[in-house]
Amino acid sequence: MKDFPKYLLTRIGAADSHTLRVYRSQGGYETLEQVLKKPWTPEQVIGVMKDSGLRGRGGAGFPTGMKWSFMPDITKDPRPRYLAVNADESEPGTCKDRVLMERDPHGLVEGCLIACYAMRAKAAYIYVRGEYRLSYNRLQAAIDEARAAGLVGKNILGSDFSCDIWMHKGAGAYICGEETGLMESLEGKRGHPRPKPPFPAGSGLWKSPTTVNNVETIFNAPFIVKNGAEWFKGLGVPKSTGNFLCGISGHVNRPGVYELPFGVTAREIIEDCAGGVWKGRKLKAFFPGGSSTGLLPASAVDVVMDHDSVKAAGSMFGTAAMIVLDETASIPQIMDVTLRFYDHESCGQCSQCREGTQWLHQIFHRIAVGRGQREDLDLLVSLSNGMAPAKTICALADAAAIPTLAAIKHFRADFEECVKLGRDPNAPSHQSAPELHEAHA
Amino acid sequence: MTKINVNGRDIEVDPKQPLIRACHDHGVDVPMYCYHPGLTPVGSCRICQVEVAAAPGQPARVVAACRTPVSEGMVVSTDTPKAHETRRECLEFLLKNHPLDCPICDKAGECDLQDYTFNEGQARGRSSEARRKLQKRKSLGDVIVLDEERCILCSRCVRFYADVVKKPQLTVEGLGSRSVINTFMDKPLTGNYQGNLADICPVGALTSKKFRFQARVWNLSKSLSTCAECSRGCSITVEALRGKEVKRFRPRANEAINKWWMCDVGRHALAPVSLPLAPEGSALGGRLRAACIRGYNGLEPAELHEALAVAADLVAAHPRPLLVLSPFATQEEAGAALELARALGSRVCFVAPEPNGMKDELLHTGDPCPNRRGLSQLGCEALSPSAVIEALKGARSALLVGERVLETVGCDALGALPSALRLVVFDVVARDLAALDACIAVPTHVEKQGHWINVDGHKGVLNVAVSAPQGVRMLDASLHALLQMVRATPAKA
Repeated sequence: MKDFPKYLLTRIGAADSHTLRVYRSQGGYETLEQVLKKPWTPEQVIGVMKDSGLRGRGGAGFPTGMKWSFMPDITKDPRPRYLAVNADESEPGTCKDRVLMERDPHGLVEGCLIACYAMRAKAAYIYVRGEYRLSYNRLQAAIDEARAAGLVGKNILGSDFSCDIWMHKGAGAYICGEETGLMESLEGKRGHPRPKPPFPAGSGLWKSPTTVNNVETIFNAPFIVKNGAEWFKGLGVPKSTGNFLCGISGHVNRPGVYELPFGVTAREIIEDCAGGVWKGRKLKAFFPGGSSTGLLPASAVDVVMDHDSVKAAGSMFGTAAMIVLDETASIPQIMDVTLRFYDHESCGQCSQCREGTQWLHQIFHRIAVGRGQREDLDLLVSLSNGMAPAKTICALADAAAIPTLAAIKHFRADFEECVKLGRDPNAPSHQSAPELHEAHA
Repeated sequence: MTKINVNGRDIEVDPKQPLIRACHDHGVDVPMYCYHPGLTPVGSCRICQVEVAAAPGQPARVVAACRTPVSEGMVVSTDTPKAHETRRECLEFLLKNHPLDCPICDKAGECDLQDYTFNEGQARGRSSEARRKLQKRKSLGDVIVLDEERCILCSRCVRFYADVVKKPQLTVEGLGSRSVINTFMDKPLTGNYQGNLADICPVGALTSKKFRFQARVWNLSKSLSTCAECSRGCSITVEALRGKEVKRFRPRANEAINKWWMCDVGRHALAPVSLPLAPEGSALGGRLRAACIRGYNGLEPAELHEALAVAADLVAAHPRPLLVLSPFATQEEAGAALELARALGSRVCFVAPEPNGMKDELLHTGDPCPNRRGLSQLGCEALSPSAVIEALKGARSALLVGERVLETVGCDALGALPSALRLVVFDVVARDLAALDACIAVPTHVEKQGHWINVDGHKGVLNVAVSAPQGVRMLDASLHALLQMVRATPAKA
């Protein structure tokens, strides 16, 4: 892989990188100071973000500057406005935000402040996945430190900009990582996604204008403001600019979180970063961006990792959480576990999702334990087409249907063999397939 | 108003209402489960999906009609193959775990899921998986029983308590396919509006304990009527099994009065309209047949004309009788009574009991007189039961007129009146009061036509839901007959 400039993970190597002292010694909060003292207008900040071409890192890849500009004009709409930072990181395979929150929490705090300044938000809410205790504690410590140093709260750095940052712990529901489900949860209700419209920018938290951004997205903001849009556009590829964090896991030698520029290929990530497929085995398939993105076969390993190229290859860039499967992996079993997750995590509002995720899971489970029937594969395709695209309030139904369709498309032969043999030839011999639990906890 | 095009027809619709309401208001059928016009739309069942294009020639998208606002120039198609296909898919998911126990389900015949499945569904299911096994009869209090297996989790019941009663009591418990409806902390439901849950439940999940297994709904004949239990006068339908036995009162949508709701007191007030007849040859022990008069052996059954003759004799012997109307008297009956009173030169009042403490913020007014406003408008004076008794003490003769008049004035107080007073009563049930000379049977409010005026001045109609027992004549007709007899025999003044 050719050399490229890094910026996201450059600070985390230092000892105590999570403290204000170390963060400041590495130039921390200088960008905020620049923005407040120069002073930049909020519109200028949004302009830079727009010019940079930054796309959201939470999975959908929506242009961030554009999203920020959807917030209504403050002169016409006096409601308070909020920033909600999605740190729920619940997509299976994804573990990138955790690194930032644990090792560089002040970077996120500074990003929040700049984003709030740009959108004239009076407060930011960071919704942290409940299991991330260290992330929560370090972020809370960072906010407290920053508040004590006059960086959070009233009249930040002596300017007339005031902004607060609050933390909220999730309780483990995947659906609370969906932006409207997250807002419901923040308001203290069940995490049931809201129908859109109204979009969060029009009516979000407590019916006020709200922007929901992923941790990594917000984390990018200070770098873009500091170095300029041109610098940022110099990284990555024209339509997916900047660097991204790739969390690679599964059957590789060196799983972990790597900073990479858009435009690297999946092969480079697997071979150069993660040290190749483990145990000298061959690659069978990989999820390019978390379990909700369609499974790609080994033949697609040269796909360029940017939003548009992965989409063209029939999957999604998602959260760049690559899950690698070696040649011994059983695709029916993988799909059984994957759909068990979606069945378990569907919020239960929409009919297609509530019943569909359960149905898909039941069928995949039957196939995986050798009770599949010939017509099951067509049924899976037909059901998935009934669930997606965009037939439900949120995208969870799509997240279950897309990998189902991809698995059948690329690995139909594996499923057919399972059905024909009445057992899974790739199932590990020591492991009998788990029985389907009617009501799992 | 906003102009949109639905299935090729241009219509003008209210921009504040969602698309599904616009379709329904213009007779376009769009199925719905989670949507209810009286509740906040959530767009979760997805059965109301239709194809919508922003303007003619624009690409069409499938959207949930209950969550889509109307916009000028919008082109809507509910009938395209794509729209049907999307709804069929949705229906298949809804039926995946539904027990399909329609043959033993109380909702069968008025079930939205059953109806739409008949219209659209496929004859064979594609699922070979075991269906969800859940509680089939979970009591949610005194009124409602929940069948968790039938529930399609539309959350109408949850929203009813949150939006209408404004005291949330129900919730969706669990996540995803393990969701069930439950009350908070398993406490039984409380309040006066539980019965509405059985009405708004689009399937047979929430059923009424009182109505359960009482009748097949296709055997019920329905008549438009008005609730008699308070002065709100909620619009209702009276549903009678094969036109004979009243089985159910249900609210009827009326935006001006009760929206889509009614209270449990009114809903369950079947006893006054379900009285058994008195035994053959007896005037007491049940509903009066035709009439009775005082004979040597106390009250004896009599023909209507005999009883009317006693009444005519009474008013001839003791002129200017006090005329006390029942608060249940219709405007038409009160009109006939006033005409009679003018002929007799009588004072007319109606008995109006004190508020009964049932008043709430939603519907119940606490005033047990369904026609208080109407009778007052006609010039009748409202007297409390004790004031009526006082007035009777000073009178030598009186006519007590209308359904439930005896129990409203109070039978004990009437029994203690001085024996100088003589009474002729027009009521559903006769009582053996010392002062009573004759009693003439009247129909109940579900057996007659007429109207009441509710507390806000709205008209509430009454219709014949079941026919009155043989021999029972309409009250206004009886009063007219008495008037004719009075005119034929002038008072001995």
